[in-house]
Amino acid sequence: MKLHDVDVAVIGAGPAGMAAAIRAREAGAEKVVLMERAEELGGLLHQCVHNGFGLLYFNEDLTGPEYGHRFIEKALDTGVTPLLETMVVRLGEDRQIGAVNTKEGFITFRPKSIVLAMGCRERSRGALNIPGTRPAGVLTAGTAQRYVNVEGFVPGKKVVILGSGDIGMIMARRLTLEGARVEAVVEILPYIGGLIRNEVQCLHDFDIPLFLNHTVTQIHGEERVEAVTVAQVNGNRQPVAGTQRTIACDTLLLSVGLIPENELSIMAGVRLDPVTGGARVDETRQTNIPGVFAGGNVLHVHDLVDNVSWESEMAGESAARFALEGKQKESGKIVVRAGRNIRYVVPQTISGRRDTTLYMRVNEPEETVRIKVGDIMTKGVRAVKPSEMLKIELSAEKLGKLREGTKEITVDCEKRGGK
Amino acid sequence: MSRVETEVLIIGGGIGGAAIARELSRYTADATLVEKGADVGQGITKYSSTIMCQGANVLEFRSEYHNSRLVWAGMPLMEPLCRELDVPFKRIGSLELVENQAGMRHPEKMMRRFKDWHGKYLPSDIEPLQFIDRDTLRAWEPNVDKKYIGAVYDPNIAVNDPVRLTIALVDNAKKNGINVLLETEVLDIKAGTDGFEVWTNNGSIACRYIINAAGEYVGKIAQMVDADDFAMYPVKSYQAVLDKKVGGLINRMVLATGSGMVSPTIHGNLFFGISPGSQRLGKAHDHSTDKKLADTALRHAQELVPAVSAADIINSFVGFIVFRNFEIGWHECTVGVSRWVPRFINASIGFPGICAAPGVAKEMIDILTRQGLRLAENPRFDPYEKAMPDFSDLSDEEKKELIARDPRYGHVVCRCETVTEGEIVEAIRRGARTLDGVKFRCRPGMGRCQGGFCGPRVTRILARELGISEEEVTKKGGESRNLLYKGKELLEAHQ
Ligand SMILES: Cc1cc2nc3c(=O)[nH]c(=O)nc-3n(C[C@H](O)[C@H](O)[C@H](O)COP(=O)(O)OP(=O)(O)OC[C@H]3O[C@@H](n4cnc5c(N)ncnc54)[C@H](O)[C@@H]3O)c2cc1C
Repeated sequence: MKLHDVDVAVIGAGPAGMAAAIRAREAGAEKVVLMERAEELGGLLHQCVHNGFGLLYFNEDLTGPEYGHRFIEKALDTGVTPLLETMVVRLGEDRQIGAVNTKEGFITFRPKSIVLAMGCRERSRGALNIPGTRPAGVLTAGTAQRYVNVEGFVPGKKVVILGSGDIGMIMARRLTLEGARVEAVVEILPYIGGLIRNEVQCLHDFDIPLFLNHTVTQIHGEERVEAVTVAQVNGNRQPVAGTQRTIACDTLLLSVGLIPENELSIMAGVRLDPVTGGARVDETRQTNIPGVFAGGNVLHVHDLVDNVSWESEMAGESAARFALEGKQKESGKIVVRAGRNIRYVVPQTISGRRDTTLYMRVNEPEETVRIKVGDIMTKGVRAVKPSEMLKIELSAEKLGKLREGTKEITVDCEKRGGK
Repeated sequence: MSRVETEVLIIGGGIGGAAIARELSRYTADATLVEKGADVGQGITKYSSTIMCQGANVLEFRSEYHNSRLVWAGMPLMEPLCRELDVPFKRIGSLELVENQAGMRHPEKMMRRFKDWHGKYLPSDIEPLQFIDRDTLRAWEPNVDKKYIGAVYDPNIAVNDPVRLTIALVDNAKKNGINVLLETEVLDIKAGTDGFEVWTNNGSIACRYIINAAGEYVGKIAQMVDADDFAMYPVKSYQAVLDKKVGGLINRMVLATGSGMVSPTIHGNLFFGISPGSQRLGKAHDHSTDKKLADTALRHAQELVPAVSAADIINSFVGFIVFRNFEIGWHECTVGVSRWVPRFINASIGFPGICAAPGVAKEMIDILTRQGLRLAENPRFDPYEKAMPDFSDLSDEEKKELIARDPRYGHVVCRCETVTEGEIVEAIRRGARTLDGVKFRCRPGMGRCQGGFCGPRVTRILARELGISEEEVTKKGGESRNLLYKGKELLEAHQ
């Protein structure tokens, strides 16, 4: 494949990468390559055989593969060039890409612009430092999902799940349907880590016990997991003496968070936001490196694929424009700060000149609040939770109310009503 | 059930047994090494801190200890050994930090004694110790805590990969004529008048000499023939490996007496552990980590290098150091013929046993000869091994060439460590039979996601290459399967 004249290279062909590549073509970029290490486009969507995809984007309730398929078709229809079974192993500060595949060997090329769409990875046992032995049968929920849904194997028949992330809860249901028994879902926080709809549809509907304020304090078993010790935790998340109990099981699944996969971004000199683990971007989704954009879970972990697609379309469009115009018009930079009970806001900087959507998460659950963006807008929200991303639309008109020369605005989540 | 006859039986495929087997292969010895695990190097050796060429700290290593003499003998041997076997080895140097003026007595005494002993007890071809002041310390290691006023610099200290070294030693021993039996556990031994009868899970073995290099289990093996003229104290120690992204925090191993140590590894990670002085007596063979040990180790590490963070830990584990005498502590080992059973030789190589192993192997030849074993030189002895390709380490041109030769090197299977299918297939060709076997040969699953991504892929390749089903693939042999059932199997069982 000739790669000397690539306009936009998109790295990763999950929902983010596909949406970015399609939009880049639609926005007029001539040659858009979509680089993917797997044999096919679609990324993790293939193993997400459950439904709940596309409720916002298509107004339909689709499974992961169905949602993916629509984008795969569209990518091919719009003339995106897939570059499959190709792993990007290097990214230079000058946008030089180094990749390997079995056919061409080691390839290097320099596209006019790049969209980072590498997604995220799961936190592992090592990162949690769970005490105990090191037997087989400790897996992340996503790995188990791949085994069950793609490879056709069931890891075990008595399962404990640590963490109540969405994949964990979905796997609790999936394994139950496969005939395994999920003994417990154990969550260290006082609230679940995933969406309410998954708590209802995956745990309650299947009578799977959920233990909030609990954690796994020890793993037992030499060759294969034999049991785990579970204990209640106090306000500092430390185990409470006397509350330990041992649950016999052959499998421990971990669903304890996702981490944006930014090794290539770091190589390229992209500046990361320590809170999101992803790049710091402006509203066009450009990073600090001109011509390098990012979208989807590589930027910040989303809970709905629909938002991943939208956000990445923005990155794809910006990348196309950059490729066509050679550079981006320098737009005044206003820093968006996370204020009271706001964990982060993406984008981290805005120009204040275009319609802009702010994505954000809170630190703590709260009820009857309002989200206040500087002094240009407020929006009442009934309840906020760390697991559910908030979206605030700011029109160019509203942003026009900002005083000339504004350097930063703060987003706060404030209590409404009686103080 | 089979019956094997062999003149020398080595029990245990850790660094000790491996080094001895390879040394014996220089001679036309009829020797067999048995290892109960599915792979070699998976005992204490796997848990070591990988710090080589210790011994210059003459306040700890002393001429009256057999252990120290073995470590000193090994000092000049380790680098050439790694070169011959094409195992990575890197001199990094160490800094023993000094906190205040009162603490200066310690380095002064050490440096004085080193001068006296250099060339006398310690090999003359090792580098002298040096004291470096606060400014040099800052310049060399800007991330070491600012409270330290200087350090003793030991330029001899190096790191390597002890499991790879063990594998290469055993591969080389095999090539040079030593018989190696894996998944063969010694269950019982009977001493006869001029030999031993040994029962294993795989049949029996008749032999004349036994070298007991069973690591944590030396006591158990020795008891089988009442040769346990020593007691074993298992001492629990904890280590944690940090993400490569913080691998550059320090360039040399740093340590402080009585607390911990932090060091770069040969593979570009960082790791920390508790120094042997401050460890606890553990329950034998209980390899579980516990929170207290983990917290203490982290605190110690942060004292040395404040930027060390729990958030960057990608793996942690517990290992045992076997003390022969709790009072002498790690300073002594048990290498020699049993006082009561002739031709039964214990090789409990202690701490730091990997440093000592080349010295132990040389000494073992003398011990065996003195016990009556006749050894003639092996005319076909070939000391060299060639490491398998390490894709991530190659230049772009070399990568291209390799993929052109074998396209499987163009298929990256482990994204964190950039390991290709070609390497995994080669590791299996060289003897890997388990996920850990592949992991310790070419590192898929050693990175920050700890096999989350590549696990299913490596499982598939192992199954394909070994001609077994994916459920039969194990993590480390025995019952350590990751996948217990086929899809729908549990549902059918319910019907
Ligand atoms: C935390 C820690 C850090 C360390 N750091 C260092 C360091 O930095 N530098 C250094 O030089 N040393 C270090 N050491 C010490 C070093 O790791 C050991 O001295 C060395 O690995 C011991 O090797 P070995 O061959 O005696 O034992 P092992 O590696 O345990 O090998 C013994 C083998 O015998 C096998 N076996 C046991 N019973 C049977 C049986 N019945 N039948 C068949 N096979 C059997 C076992 O499966 C095992 O593979 C460290 C040790 C620990 C615990």
